[in-house]
Amino acid sequence: MLDPTDPIDSVPNALGRRYLLKGLGAAALGGALVVDGTSAAATEIAHRSVADAPIDGTASPNDRVPYLGVHQAGVVNPRPANGMLASFSVRAETLDALEDLFKTLTMRIAFLTVGGPEPQLDPKLPPADSGLLGPIIRPDNLTITVSVGASLFDERPWLAPLKPKHLLRMTGFPNDALDAALCHGDLSIQICANTQDTTIHALRDIIKTASRQLVLRWKQEGNVPVVAPGLDGRPESARNFLGFRDGSANPDSSDATAMESIVWVGKEDGEPAWALGGSYQAVRIIRNFVERWDRTPFGEQERIFGRTKISGAPLDMPDGHESDVPDYAADPEGKKTPLDAHIRLANARDSAAARNLILRRPFNYSNGVTKSGQLDQGLLFIAYQANLESGFIAVQNKLNHEPLEEYIKPIGGGYFYTLPGIRDAGDHLGSALVTAARGASR
Amino acid sequence: MRFHGLCGAAALTLALSSGAFAQQANLDLVEPVAEYKLYVSEQVSKLVMDTTAFTAAVKAGDVAKAKALFAPTRLSYEAIEPIAELFSDLDAAIDSRADDYENGEANPEFPGFHRIEYGLWEKNSTDGLAPVADKLLADVKELDSRIAALTFPPEKVVGGAAVLMEEVAATKISGEEDRYSHTDLWDFRGNFDGARKIVDLVRPLIAKKEAKFLKTVDANFAQVDGILSKYKKGDGYVTYDKLTEADRKVLATAVNTLAEDLSTLRGKLGLD
Ligand code: HEM
Repeated sequence: MLDPTDPIDSVPNALGRRYLLKGLGAAALGGALVVDGTSAAATEIAHRSVADAPIDGTASPNDRVPYLGVHQAGVVNPRPANGMLASFSVRAETLDALEDLFKTLTMRIAFLTVGGPEPQLDPKLPPADSGLLGPIIRPDNLTITVSVGASLFDERPWLAPLKPKHLLRMTGFPNDALDAALCHGDLSIQICANTQDTTIHALRDIIKTASRQLVLRWKQEGNVPVVAPGLDGRPESARNFLGFRDGSANPDSSDATAMESIVWVGKEDGEPAWALGGSYQAVRIIRNFVERWDRTPFGEQERIFGRTKISGAPLDMPDGHESDVPDYAADPEGKKTPLDAHIRLANARDSAAARNLILRRPFNYSNGVTKSGQLDQGLLFIAYQANLESGFIAVQNKLNHEPLEEYIKPIGGGYFYTLPGIRDAGDHLGSALVTAARGASR
Repeated sequence: MRFHGLCGAAALTLALSSGAFAQQANLDLVEPVAEYKLYVSEQVSKLVMDTTAFTAAVKAGDVAKAKALFAPTRLSYEAIEPIAELFSDLDAAIDSRADDYENGEANPEFPGFHRIEYGLWEKNSTDGLAPVADKLLADVKELDSRIAALTFPPEKVVGGAAVLMEEVAATKISGEEDRYSHTDLWDFRGNFDGARKIVDLVRPLIAKKEAKFLKTVDANFAQVDGILSKYKKGDGYVTYDKLTEADRKVLATAVNTLAEDLSTLRGKLGLD
């Protein structure tokens, strides 16, 4: 049984090894609170990365990702099996109201990601908690990541001057069929956990506790397939609904230096000072035409991506491993990897393309049935980068008109700025932004 | 038709390694592809002619005439859609739907046939449609000249039969294509004719080896024909909402099976 007075120290022995790494990994990435001091176990699993599929049998309800740190949790951590992106309109007509919202969210994050007993109220009142996880909340690897959209700034003159310089309302790309009801928002909350119940519980908690300021606009849930441990012990990227490994070439999210340059906004990015330690979040809801895909020749499927379907190895070394690096210089005409293959367009692997790296953190989604009686499935694409313009937008522009477009249709999403982390127990989300806005209005 | 099932591995290596098999296939396909190009250019010439008359009616403010010409004009476009779609900019300009634009019909960028359809049926008016009509005609003419200059890739031609059925299965069976005019059955006619044309052109190449496959495909086309003929009215068809639930079901299964079967056509012809 958890001890309500000290929830953090009450579960250490039950914590899985992934938890330990997460604690250390986050610390290495900039001073996150390390809840557990044990370091010996860390090396053993030094290579869990965002792209890796969750390993069967390793998740525990007691897995805990520290929510404190220079950066928010839920960006460079390996994805657990379930994820959700919810977009909200924010009321907050004043800076005080906005600060209040950030404090409320911080409080809920502090409770939900750490766990503990839910408060019991007078039974004549509605319960404090939805109760769907029972009376004791266990962290279950939960991360809650809060980001803000351009409209939060644009609609508030007292905040507008502080808008991150690349933040804008997402505009349509040639293959898009955007549904206004699935686009944009003042604030996004990404919720990830081992189980769907935990993500839903967290969303319901936030809706209940922040209803003064937040109105839900849209949400999309997704999951990452859980796989059996690989035979060779090397991590495998999870597969998407087109049956391909997705994330093989993702930058290594356990490499703190790489993450500082690719994902996190630093001094050199020329952003407003409050934004340091944050990141741009690009969200896309991309429908996959799976019936049609399943009727596409195997060889063509592989050429569309530029990778083998079974192992994920690049097409110029089909017997290799998914982590092998394709050599496009040796294949200038695209005889092995077509010039318009998804991976070749997305990253030409030259020095110019090195400026467009992004960290992809997607989830597969499966909703219902379309009006035409087809499966409504796809990819909840989420990418993080220090520069939206040279990151997602540049890469998507390179992908425009790729052969894959016959099988996919982006229908929703938005651009957001992931707030810097909650530094310590006395801090709250968005504190630097609020301070800057207060200073400016004085 | 489940030929991959039996000798899957062998077929796969063959298809993947291209080589002699594919070269022979390409040689055999020279004639059908040339004939198909002829078919497509006839259809596009008809499209240009019909669109000229259609857009003239729109510009003259003749709502009734424009409405009458809308569906027949689209017929030839629908028949050659897989080729038209090779030019994605033109396909978007000619045939995109309101859902392709974030604010739907309200978006001033919403162009082409369906923009005009929206004005004619929802507003019963040609107000503001003249520039849209001019642009549509220009785009259709541009399509004509681009197709004339196009070397038809054999795999796109053969694959086109399946693509046409995929289109119907994914986004037309629901009646969302011609949602204002409900003239979807005309479009179906165009799509089925286009698909069958392709099957007929390559038929001699597979008649012996794939007799059973062709029989299934033909039977499904016949079912579709049967249903469409039930809904004939004058030179065309009744509106899509008249289709009974039972007929829609038969149509849907026929389309899905055709999509499934025709997706193997490329492989059967040795095309990668
Ligand atoms: C439904 C849509 C998509 C699917 C199914 C998909 C699938 C894949 C797959 C299978 C790979 C190869 C494995 C890997 O390296 O991860 C890949 C790579 C990649 N994708 Fe996508 N992707 C989609 C959309 C996007 C979008 C919208 C972007 C960004 C604009 C993107 C950017 C990339 C990048 C940067 C790579 C790595 C290329 C490299 O470095 O070699 N993808 N994708």
